[in-house]
This record gives sequence, C-alpha cells and structure tokens, in this order.
Amino acid sequence: MSSETKKIDIPFNRVEGDLEVKVDVTDDTITDAWSCGTMYRGFEAMMTGRGPLDGLVITPRICGICSLTHLNAAAVALDRIAQVTLPDNAIRLRNVALMAETIQSDLRQAVLMYMADFTNHKAYQKHPLFKEAVARYQMLSGSSVVEVIRKTKRLIEIIAIIGGQWPHTSFMVPGGVTSIPYVPKLMQSRLIFNRFLEWYEKKVLGCTIARWQAVTTRKELAQWFEERPEHRDSEVGFFIRFAEKAGLDTYGRGNDHFLCFGNFPLPKDTAVTPRVPGTDQLTTPGFFRGTEYLALDAANIKEDITCSWFEQKPVVSHPFDSVTRPYASGNMGKPYSWVKAPRYDGLPAETGPLAEAVMDRVPLFLDLIRNTGATALVRQLARITRPARLLPDMGTWIDELLAHHADPFYTPVKTIPDGQGAGMIQAARGALGHWVTIENSKISNYQVITPTAWNGSPRDGQNQPGPWESALKGTPVKDPDNPVEAGHVIRSFDPCMVCAVHIVKNEK
Amino acid sequence: MKTVYWLQGGGCGGDTYSLLSSDFMDVSELFTTLDLKLLWHPSLCSIDPAAHERLLTDIASGTTPLDILMVEGSIIFGPAGTGMFDTFRGRAKKELCHTLASHARYVVAVGTCAAFGGFGAGHAIEATGLQFTKKKKGGALGREFVSGSGMPVINLAGCPCHHDVIAGALMAVASDVPLELDRFQRPLEWYNTMVHQGCTRNEYHEYRVEESDFGEMGCLFFHMGCAGPLVPGPCNKLLWNRHSSKPRAGVPCFGCTSPDFPKSNPFFHTPNIEGIPLELPKGVNRAHYMVYKGMAAEAAPERLKKRSAKV
Ligand code: SF4
Repeated sequence: MSSETKKIDIPFNRVEGDLEVKVDVTDDTITDAWSCGTMYRGFEAMMTGRGPLDGLVITPRICGICSLTHLNAAAVALDRIAQVTLPDNAIRLRNVALMAETIQSDLRQAVLMYMADFTNHKAYQKHPLFKEAVARYQMLSGSSVVEVIRKTKRLIEIIAIIGGQWPHTSFMVPGGVTSIPYVPKLMQSRLIFNRFLEWYEKKVLGCTIARWQAVTTRKELAQWFEERPEHRDSEVGFFIRFAEKAGLDTYGRGNDHFLCFGNFPLPKDTAVTPRVPGTDQLTTPGFFRGTEYLALDAANIKEDITCSWFEQKPVVSHPFDSVTRPYASGNMGKPYSWVKAPRYDGLPAETGPLAEAVMDRVPLFLDLIRNTGATALVRQLARITRPARLLPDMGTWIDELLAHHADPFYTPVKTIPDGQGAGMIQAARGALGHWVTIENSKISNYQVITPTAWNGSPRDGQNQPGPWESALKGTPVKDPDNPVEAGHVIRSFDPCMVCAVHIVKNEK
Repeated sequence: MKTVYWLQGGGCGGDTYSLLSSDFMDVSELFTTLDLKLLWHPSLCSIDPAAHERLLTDIASGTTPLDILMVEGSIIFGPAGTGMFDTFRGRAKKELCHTLASHARYVVAVGTCAAFGGFGAGHAIEATGLQFTKKKKGGALGREFVSGSGMPVINLAGCPCHHDVIAGALMAVASDVPLELDRFQRPLEWYNTMVHQGCTRNEYHEYRVEESDFGEMGCLFFHMGCAGPLVPGPCNKLLWNRHSSKPRAGVPCFGCTSPDFPKSNPFFHTPNIEGIPLELPKGVNRAHYMVYKGMAAEAAPERLKKRSAKV
C-alpha cells in the first residue's frame, strides 16, 4: 500500500492569541510540523525612548495570564541595573504573589484548557471515561471547571492583597515593593491560602502533599493508584486514567533539552531551602542536555530569525544586541511565524514545569522520563502537580511575613543609572527573560524572550525545529478534521501566543 | 436564550482573566442565570475548528442570530492597512470583526484596547478601538456605527476592565436595560465615579501630604503620577478581587480608563510646574486650586504630616 502525505492546517483555540500549526500526515501519523504565530503586537515601540521605570507598567500588558511574572522580570532587570539589595520582606512578597499567579495558571491550564479536550465528542465518545470527562470538564458547566474557577479566583485575592489587583498591577519596583499589607490582611492571606491548600489536596491530588511527594517512581505511582479510591478520583488520578487510555503516554516527546532560568530568590533569613543545595533560589537554573546538567550561562542565549517574519542583521544575536523589525512585505519563502527562534548554545530547548522538575531533580519525573520519555502525559502531569511543590514554601513565606511585618520592604532607589540588566525568571510556562538597556535615563532597548518563544519556536538557521514542532512528529492523527491528538501535544507545552509574539521596534 | 460571541483581537487576554474574578456571580453562573449561550470564546469554548467555521458562516448569513458581540483587544490594521499582523486562517481579523459587528444587537468593547486602541494605537501595528482611536471618533467600525439595538459601541474602558463592570454590562445588555454613555461611550453607571473616590489616601490628598518615594504614606497624585483624580473608574469603589486597588497598595493609578492611555510621559512621575501638577483634578479651576492647596497644606494635622495615619 502506498502512503500519501496530507497537509493539514490546525487553528488552535484556548490559546492566548493566535496559533496555527501546519502538519504533514502520512499513514495517520504526523511526519512534519510547522508552528506559526499569526499575530504580531509590536510592543517594543512603546518601550524605546520611554522612562526607565515604564517597563513595570507596560510589560505586564504583554500577557494577561502572567502579567505579574512580566512585572517581576522587569523589576529584577531594574534591580540589577540599580545594583540594589532587596529587603527580605520584598523578596517574600514578590515570591508569594508570583507563586499565587503560577499556581492559578497551572490549575486553569489543566482544567479549562487541557482536560477540556477530553470532552471532544468526535474523538472520545467511545472512550470508557467519556461521560465522566464531560461531567467534569464541559466548558463553563463541568463540576471541575466550576470549582477551578471558584478556587483560583480566591487564591488570586492574595495577589490583590499584596499588589492591589490582578491582573496588571505594578507593585514590584526596583528596590522592593510599594507597600506591605497590614497584619489582618496578611492573616486573611494565610486563611485564603489554607483553604486553597485543603482543596488542592482533597480534590486535585486526592491525598496530602506529603503522600504525593512520597511517590518517587513509576512503580510507586501505580501503587498510589491502587491505594485509595480518592487517588483515582482526584483530578490527577482521573487525568492519568483518561490520558493513558487515550495513549498520551506514547507520543509528544520533545527533544529532551530542558531549560530553566530558576525562580524565587531566597531571603537571607528564611526557613525555605533550595531544591538543589548551593543555589540562592528555590527552583534551580540550568540547562539539561539529554544526560548532563549544565550551569546556566546567559551568554549562551541567542535568537535566530531565519524562519521568522523579521528583518535583522545578523540573523542570530544575543538579546542585548537584537534590533528587530517586522517584515511588512510578503512571505519571502522561508519565514512562517511571528515568533523568533531562541536557542541555548545553538540548541532548541523545552521549558516549563517539566523542565523545572528535571532541573530540581524531582525523582518521579526523572524516572518517568527514563521509562517513557517526556511525553504529553508526563509534561502535563508535571504541570498539574507543580503546586504540590510550591504550596508548602508559599505557606512558610506568608508566615514569615506575619512574623516580620514591621521590617522594611523597600530599599530606596533614587534614580536608575544608565546600564544594562537582565531579569531572568520562571513564568508558569517556563523561562522568561527581559533584557533592558538604559541610556541617557531612557530605555534604549528592551527585549523579551518568553517561554512560548522557546517551546513554540519555528526552525532556525540550522533547520532545527522548535520543541513542539519536534514533539508533534510521530503523533497519531485519527481524524484530520478533528486532530485532537496534536492539540494534546501542543497544549502539554501550555502555549501562549500573545506573549510569544515577539516584541519589535516601531518602523518609523 | 441570547447568544454571545467573544472576539479576541490584539490584546493580552487580561479582560478575560479579569472576568474570571467576577464574584457576585461566577462566570459560569452568570451565563446560566442570564440565559446566555456562549457561542464562542477563545479560552472558554471547546468546539472544533470545523464547527467554528460553520458558526461564522451561520452568523454571517443570519441563520444564527447574534445578540451580543464582546470584543477584547484592539483591531489591528497594520501593516499598511492590510490587517495581516493579526490573521485568522489567513484572513485579516478586522474583516471578521466587521462581519460580526454588522449582525450583532449589541457590540461591547471590553478593555481599553478594544475601546480606544490602547497600546498599539499610533504604533507600527496600527491598532484602533472599535469606534475610537484614542480620543478620535471613528475606529474600526466608523463613527456612525450603531448595532442592531440602535446603540453605538459600549466602551468598557480599563486595562483590564474591572470584573464587575464586565459582568454588570453583560447583565444590562442581556436584559435590554438602557445604559447611558459619556462622550467616550463609557457607561455612566461605572464611569461617572473618579478612581480617586474611595481611595484610602484621600485624607492625605485633602491636606496635600505627598508621597515622594515608594512606601511612604501619603497621596500619590503630586509626585508619583497618580491619575486617580483625573480619570473615571470604579477601582476604589468596587475594589479589585474583593480586596484592594492599586493606589491602596501604594501603586499610582495609571489612568487606564482614559482614551489616551498609555500616555507618552513616564509613569510613576507627575508632570508639574513648581510642584503643582500640570493636570489638575477633573473640573477644578487652577487659581482656586493653588490657593486651596496652599491653605490645606498649612492646615494639615500632625498625624498626617507625620504620616502616621494608615492608608
Ligand atoms: S493616591 Fe491617587 S487616588 Fe489616592 S487620594 Fe491620592 S490622588 Fe487620589
């Protein structure tokens, strides 16, 4: 039988902004893929020439889901330029708020974006768990959907208490934060946190965080499953049952390079300890190249625009040196995306909760990868269980804030001197960097590389596909009109095209 | 049952995420209670691509009536008026916006980008709002545009728009409750309150006790660039996420409900002449204000001068 290659265009919903993926399908399997960001918002024009602090207000507007993370990266870049040391309380407040944003994002992504695809009638009506999936994940009415909307909304109140509102606050400033909440508000935060934690354990994990963390291998995961019905019925349990039956543990494997910028700097005086001893952040920065762990070296980060709709010479440059302009004229053959191709040491790299788990040496995920590779299932499991790793430390920091509430939260920074600084942190979706240059008391260059630019990058000058372009290869497509499997792969990277759309200069 | 289509243009999704914090009713409850059918929302719907195409054809042919069109994000016209910076299956989104708007009973611009163009207005992407570009009337749909109900575009300004305002406006249009609009087509119910109203720093403002660096107690208007007295919005009245607002947390109001947001002058700084802000609280006479503020500062009570009063 001769096989024929079909070309399909897949537009994606439940993505911030616009993403279309073109795939070649041969014998019901994807043989090649091209990821295309179809929107370009040109933020850099607003940054160039503006006041040094303006990134704190403008960059959160790059993304409504991780506005606070952009704020944090912008503030860190300015902290570096001003060479200021932050008071412990400022670090705690920033960390607690960022954790809240990350956790709400993980749960909304899992339930509203990821598991929603399990209700796909055409693909799954014969799946034995289909009825239950609909009862849980039907948009706006499923039991889990309604619960996640309610619970995440409550968690976000902590951000409002710390920073005034969510999304789009600007309470992180060079030197610290703009205010410290009053004690009763901090106590409320503690209670909001307690309730959320209780719900997360009961409904999402089906067990205590401590029990979950005792699961360190694939075998122990199987035992955990059999142990109690609550485990099987939890969101995590149901996800694994549905996903295994649907085959999500058999495809979606990326290129096995994992990148992480590290996150949550540790205050000087704290009970929280780093995941990997010796680092001054809670989660670990670094690059994992198949088998070896390498220390993060920011000089290794380059952007390649060979296949992107931008003009720039040279086509590969470090973000501090990038000068970019959108192509306004036609396709010119090669380029196919508004997303650039960031590379680490010349290699495409996957970033996100799984990369964090790998970098933090979380035993369960190292074991899963050893067994099945980084499949769609493993990647998504890393996301929905990441809050289990963040929540305990978040609680500790809230307690420390209560204990130290009278201490300073801001080190005055009179002016921002000229200079260059990078703010490199972890967003919910992975490595986020802001590269800022201040000249004559104004922003002269502002460059952002988002997690989705890493994960959803197009090909580069070496013709290397981006991580999810690679991961799509080998993915089955049973019905070309309803390519739900491709969706599972891409969504396991949690695409956010709004933020991936590269920030470029005004042409004028 | 009424139908809603949520179109996402050039925006960040912030208004959708704001709406998810709606509290008087959760988003899901809101839709059920109002008997609204969400035909499409890029994040809250899961129909497949083919079904979405059919839906668009049916709206365009009138087979599926469209009661409420909500638009989030600006309408992108760049490069050179083609709209190709923002496409849906190879077509410019601005065309889609036009088609949908011409069939809708109500058109609601959610957020400052959809209302006035926001960040992309005047820049390379040539962004406009639905019926305004910054302060200039016109925008993507034209100055004369009225939707099926006879109303022009309803502008729910804010970056993002406050969750209670989005929910409230949905309640109003779903029940055909008339909304009175100001000259920038913002409903007076929410935009006839200044952000300043309800700010816990008001007493400091009154006696002109000024904050000049972060974390000091005081009013943020005179040095820190707070636009609270200059722009309308319910942030300090309805509060955000049930708890707070930017000024309450020591962050100046950036004036995000204004058609000219974001302004080109630096944030966190009040442009002034000899310490008196260039822009004075809405409706105030400069000469009177100078006299009044001079006296007020003199009269300031010790507890404020010492900045011991909590904000
Ligand atoms: S801080 Fe802003 S909103 Fe609050 S009183 Fe001062 S001017 Fe008004």
